[in-house]
Amino acid sequence: MTAALLTLADSRLPAGGHTHSGGVEQAIAAGVLTDPASLALFLRRRLTTSGAVAAGLAAAACRAVDDADVVAALSALDAEADARTPSPALRAASRQQGRGLVRVGGRAWPHPAWAALPAQPHHPLALGVAAAAGGLTPREAAAAAAYLSVSGPATAAQRLLAMDPITVAAVTARLAPEVDAVAAASTDGLPAAADPLLDLLAEVHTARKDRFFAS
Amino acid sequence: MEVVARSDPRGRTVLPVVRASGQLAVRRTGPTTVHLVATAFGPLGGDDAEVRLVVEEGARLSVHSVAAAVVLPARGESPPSRQVVRAEVAGVLHLAPEPTVVTARAVHLAELHAELDGRGELTATEQVLLGRAGEEPGRWTGTTRVVVAGRPVLHTTVGLGPGAPAWSPPVAPRAYVSTVRVGDPQAAVRTGVDAVRLPLPGGWVGTAWAGELHEAVTRLAGVTRERDLEVAR
Repeated sequence: MTAALLTLADSRLPAGGHTHSGGVEQAIAAGVLTDPASLALFLRRRLTTSGAVAAGLAAAACRAVDDADVVAALSALDAEADARTPSPALRAASRQQGRGLVRVGGRAWPHPAWAALPAQPHHPLALGVAAAAGGLTPREAAAAAAYLSVSGPATAAQRLLAMDPITVAAVTARLAPEVDAVAAASTDGLPAAADPLLDLLAEVHTARKDRFFAS
Repeated sequence: MEVVARSDPRGRTVLPVVRASGQLAVRRTGPTTVHLVATAFGPLGGDDAEVRLVVEEGARLSVHSVAAAVVLPARGESPPSRQVVRAEVAGVLHLAPEPTVVTARAVHLAELHAELDGRGELTATEQVLLGRAGEEPGRWTGTTRVVVAGRPVLHTTVGLGPGAPAWSPPVAPRAYVSTVRVGDPQAAVRTGVDAVRLPLPGGWVGTAWAGELHEAVTRLAGVTRERDLEVAR
């Protein structure tokens, strides 16, 4: 564990993650998320699907930095990320956050691999490169991705439902063993776990005119 | 099980290879159509079936099944049953088996790996029901990977049933249907009640879920307007 990992997973890192709710805003609108218990279920659902996918891609991108052809390796991972993210709304959200992380990460942890990323990379790829540039391991990249898959959405739920911050912090903290398990299981290989509910919520959300969050 | 579809010099599809062993038999039911026939009940926990489909350039192949597959658990701690379909498609493949019913305690893994060259066309449908009438749901995990001209265009794994992490109330459906289509112009997004169609390069993937299979099929048809599914009903 290093300070670089804490920095990378810190919600204060200005990478633009705070404008995304990870499906929480639409889950609330759909009546799927109403209270701390349903928040915990929603976060677990997200962690084990898109969180696992992001963790696998982040670990692989962290590893790809040492590849003989970094550009080709990251480009292949970007295609794998697309294949695992058929929802255009979720793709756009991932690429927006990827671009935001490149902007801050490239300054925070200068490294030649930043230049090897596609123009608007998927967020887990940028996260993997940031981890490598910060001297972290693929396992730590996966941990950051898994944690971020629930931390941002939890904060969004707190804001949208005016939930007690201590309750929300407890819900998130209690997921820690599962976050660790997802990161460990996703470090080798590229999980493809999908949740059609999250795809549907994302597409209904992006068509709304009155949304508060970008996704 | 293996089926090869080839275009003869006059442009008609012939099936030079149609063979099966174990729990699956395969019958030719039309010039370009085969039906899978289960030779016994099942699949049963621990069963492992592999289906290889090759559709060469200019050829067409439709693969159906004669009845729903009812997945049963083995005695005691039942291991999963597994069915893997590997398809190489330069022609036109239509894969539309009858529903898979996963009974209580059974765990079934379904995989589709399809490799298309630039001209290949694919329509693959999947219909899943967890549990027979009045029965506890079983577990189903389905992986779909579609690669077109060397590039992955879809790779998803959906887990359904008690214990699947993303199968939790209030969204824990007993019925799930999905169709992948490659070989059309890229489709736009369409959303419905518990149904969504998402664009793929050269096609789309549609998914719907419900308490009952017929509802899920209706919801999917609502977002895909898939003729073949409507015919199948």
